[in-house]
Amino acid sequence: MDRRNLLKAAAAAGALGATAGMPAPALSQGTAARTLRFVPQANLANFDPIWGTQYVVRNASAMVWDTLYGVDEKLEPQPQMVEGDTVSSDGLTWTIKLRDGLRFHDGEKVLAKDVVASITRWMPRDPMGQMLKAIQNELVAADDRTVRWVLKSPYPKLRFALAKVGTPCCFIMPERIARTDSFTQISEYVGSGPMRFVRNEWVPGAKAVFQKFDGYVPRSDAGTWLAGAKRMMVDRVEWLIMPDAATASAALQNGEIDWWENPITDLVPTLKRNRNIAVDIADPLGNIGSFRMNHLHPPFNNVGVRRAVLMAMSQEDYMRALVGDDTDLWKALPGYFTPGTPLYSEEGGEILKGPRNIDAAKKLLAESGYKGEPVICVVAQDQSITKAFGDVTADLLKRLGMNVDFIATDWGTVGQRRAMKNPPGQGGWSMFHTWHAGADCVNPASYNAIRATGENAWFGWPSAPAVDAAISEWFAAPDLASEKAAIGKVNRLALENVVYAPTGFFLGYQAWRRNVTGIQKGPLPFFWGVAKA
Amino acid sequence: MFAYIVRRVLATIPVMAIVALFVFSLLYIAPGDPAAVIAGDQATPQDVERIRESLGLDRPFLVRFGEWLFRILQGDMGVSIFTNLPVTTMIQQRIEPTLSLMVLTLCLAVSIAVPMGVVAAWKQGTWIDRAVMGFAVLGFSVPVFVVGYVLAYVFALELDWLPVQGYTAFSNGFFPWLENLILPAIALGGVYIALIARITRATMLEVLQQDYIRTARAKGAGQRSILFLHALKNAAVPIVTVIGIGVALLIGGAVVTESVFAIPGLGRLTVDAILRRDYPVIQGVILLFSFVYVLVNLAIDLLYTLFDPRIRY
Repeated sequence: MDRRNLLKAAAAAGALGATAGMPAPALSQGTAARTLRFVPQANLANFDPIWGTQYVVRNASAMVWDTLYGVDEKLEPQPQMVEGDTVSSDGLTWTIKLRDGLRFHDGEKVLAKDVVASITRWMPRDPMGQMLKAIQNELVAADDRTVRWVLKSPYPKLRFALAKVGTPCCFIMPERIARTDSFTQISEYVGSGPMRFVRNEWVPGAKAVFQKFDGYVPRSDAGTWLAGAKRMMVDRVEWLIMPDAATASAALQNGEIDWWENPITDLVPTLKRNRNIAVDIADPLGNIGSFRMNHLHPPFNNVGVRRAVLMAMSQEDYMRALVGDDTDLWKALPGYFTPGTPLYSEEGGEILKGPRNIDAAKKLLAESGYKGEPVICVVAQDQSITKAFGDVTADLLKRLGMNVDFIATDWGTVGQRRAMKNPPGQGGWSMFHTWHAGADCVNPASYNAIRATGENAWFGWPSAPAVDAAISEWFAAPDLASEKAAIGKVNRLALENVVYAPTGFFLGYQAWRRNVTGIQKGPLPFFWGVAKA
Repeated sequence: MFAYIVRRVLATIPVMAIVALFVFSLLYIAPGDPAAVIAGDQATPQDVERIRESLGLDRPFLVRFGEWLFRILQGDMGVSIFTNLPVTTMIQQRIEPTLSLMVLTLCLAVSIAVPMGVVAAWKQGTWIDRAVMGFAVLGFSVPVFVVGYVLAYVFALELDWLPVQGYTAFSNGFFPWLENLILPAIALGGVYIALIARITRATMLEVLQQDYIRTARAKGAGQRSILFLHALKNAAVPIVTVIGIGVALLIGGAVVTESVFAIPGLGRLTVDAILRRDYPVIQGVILLFSFVYVLVNLAIDLLYTLFDPRIRY
């Protein structure tokens, strides 16, 4: 090939390349307005809300699978897939009737047998479900639309159990899928909710797509949160995973995304200055910070040591380390239950109130017999919340004169290590930090962290039978006054025993473009009712 | 030559076997538990244990390694613990963005760095030389993510010329593809340009002192011909070597770049898998990277014969 031919060939190739390189037809404005681009709090790495109970999985699942009941913003359970229910006079037999016209995404009708299988799969994974399973006599499909649930003893909070937002939610799946063992992941995603999961567009770690399901029949009554009409105002919801907060912030400002679930506090002032962006509190139920001590081994097997730490700790220090000087985002929490909810209590919370007294705490520590045993403080550095808490705790313990062994690691390692019951010097641990969604802490129903059943309790294995007896009183409480009394007792006893150390109550923001309307404040992003101009 | 290529390809088998054993052992002894991540924060220790059993993570090392090796030999990289998707599918979903980013960065870097190095050597000691070397120091010193943020701020947020994030497949058009990749490629290419420019300059300086260059000048050859035909070709072997070594740099840099620009590539897949302890995915991706690196080295060795006829295998 001579030079002239080479040039001709290059020109031809260039022309071909340019044609091939023409941009694909852009989406029309109408189509763009029907697609909501959302940046979730985390990657949707799996899609089985019973097998994997991470909040991000629950949030996506709430679009795809419906529930029998759903809580509203007052945390009251309301019928959702259910038309109505009746309870026998002895409180033992529940008869639940499904709404007419319910369909799965494969077009099949939702039948009572699907509900039975879904409840059966959910029960072993949920604290309330386990209680129900323990008192269950019979759970059967009486006919295509009727479920009969016979219990050995009354369970007044059954509707709440099936309606709650805490993970795992009791989502309704087709029987063939719901028959999968609770500890094995499903591989077929046939939903019962207002959106279909578009599996072939799912790129874990990057993107998840949901398409409006035309066969979904919303309730006629208005509602909030998981209750009422789940009417989709967009045809398509795209979840775009952005691990970097600065990128998500820039994308929101540039109009490349419409809604960001959890902007970090540092970037909020920039977003607030942008007139195209609205910023507001995401979830009024917020979160409760926590550090858990290992009740099995010294030094924290000694309640005196635990109380000395509680006496010394300043929740303000923890909260400011986490959210900075934005006082709208936190409040002190002399207890374990979510502020602003009906059962909130400060009973027994004096130890966390008022100016902190390090000297008195040191004295209590000495009196309790602390002998300088090492405190293995395992801190996940890849989570901004635990990192901030860990730094404050390490400083606190050192000021108390404790022998701190600070282990900086990642969340994956904390997850493994906290399950180990070995003594701290043999691969175990003394304390780790975490946080609990306020929605899980409105009462003891989904609140594993407050249970104190010893070896069967949550990590840290606190043992305080009196706390659990008070929790049982709450479950049996017939009215709100009795519930409040029981919760007050739980709060006091849990603080006396220091089931765990609450580091404060904190909120987070969400941000969206102003052409998006209908966004609710709540424990998860609710996509129904959200429209885009 | 053909026999050499066959020998080299066969030699990748023991290399890959050693990599496989190393990766599997390392992950086995590394702390962390995927079952705890799957179960979520509210799960009880009993739940975590049940999930660990269902995933087979409680079985002995040799059993797990044997099964994995058996599957690998059949071309099956296994299934992700988290997504329940085959590892090969996950890699297929992610390979195009990473490959695109690396190829574009490579093209950009070579087309900028080589002329820069040549010119710097030609103009040794002048302000041009100092400017090129100054740029090289800057390229080495400023982290990829800083360059990324600055580029995104200027060209996406302030000027609104380019998107901040994301990836558009090549099949959707060359320009949309380029729009998404140009900033990441520049950010990632900084270090690479600096490296290649420095090596090109150093090698060219050495070659420009050779007798045959003086002879070419004496014969009246033009400056461009001397630089690019006589000198650069003879300086090419070390430059090509550095370009090959730089592929490893690109793989490492792609992890950061993909995060900054939210590109759904293999780098982000690797980081996500490591943080979650998704063992089959980590093993699959590392094996793939190792294989690519072995192939790049083979290609570089073969390229030597093009630039230096004295090299024969």
